[in-house]
Amino acid sequence: MATRTRPDRTQAASPRRPRPTVAWMAQVVSGVLLLVLMTVHMVAQHFVVEGGLRTYQDVVAWIRNPVVFAVEALLLLTVTWHGIAGVHAVLLDLGLRGRAERIVARSLLGLAVVTVAYGLWLLATIAFRG
Amino acid sequence: MTGKGLRAVGGRHPSRWLDPRGRHLGTWAFVLNRLTGLGLVAYLYLHLIVLSTLLRGPEAWDGLVAVFRRPVFLALDVLLVLGLAVHGLNGLRVALVGSGLLVDRHKALLVAAGVLVGLVGLVAAVRTFA
Repeated sequence: MATRTRPDRTQAASPRRPRPTVAWMAQVVSGVLLLVLMTVHMVAQHFVVEGGLRTYQDVVAWIRNPVVFAVEALLLLTVTWHGIAGVHAVLLDLGLRGRAERIVARSLLGLAVVTVAYGLWLLATIAFRG
Repeated sequence: MTGKGLRAVGGRHPSRWLDPRGRHLGTWAFVLNRLTGLGLVAYLYLHLIVLSTLLRGPEAWDGLVAVFRRPVFLALDVLLVLGLAVHGLNGLRVALVGSGLLVDRHKALLVAAGVLVGLVGLVAAVRTFA
């Protein structure tokens, strides 16, 4: 998991700006996608719902909608990638390097896979419950 | 996390964003983005744990929903929306400036992000408590 993002370049224009890394671009694209998906999620799941949270029956009926299921699955995938890559970037900022960095990167990748797998299983289990 | 793994190696020093003393407003905003990001990653896992209550059936979930409708939890919901807005909108600013776009307008972008965060927080508070 190569999630090295660029250091803080928010101060001023630099005459010789380094080329953006793939990890930086992935973080930007997933971040922009999350702005859309998270807005949809917060509005549809909470803001328009009476009391802010659905009852059990309403949750099951809502998740059964294929469009909702697909959006929530995409949100889970995107937020997990963005979050785990962000944690990796923070650790790189703190100076994590070498063998320790490789071990942490693999562990974070494993955590991301487990998170997405569990989240999808949870979504499917709820959706297909009678 | 401390120790050998976090020391700078290969002549590259760790990023110093965690020590923003004497730095510009943009760096403070960058630090805020990192910190809100870490908080939101922690919340992602808390959210998955809470959603797992759905596996225990209607009584368990509906009981939890009743607890989460108490004012203290509703206030935490507004705080969550604020955290998402800060990270999302300030992150968009960091992405634009870090990608070399609107670099000379980074302070105006910061003000715009701040105003939008305030508006989102206000709408969330009104919608939650009204």
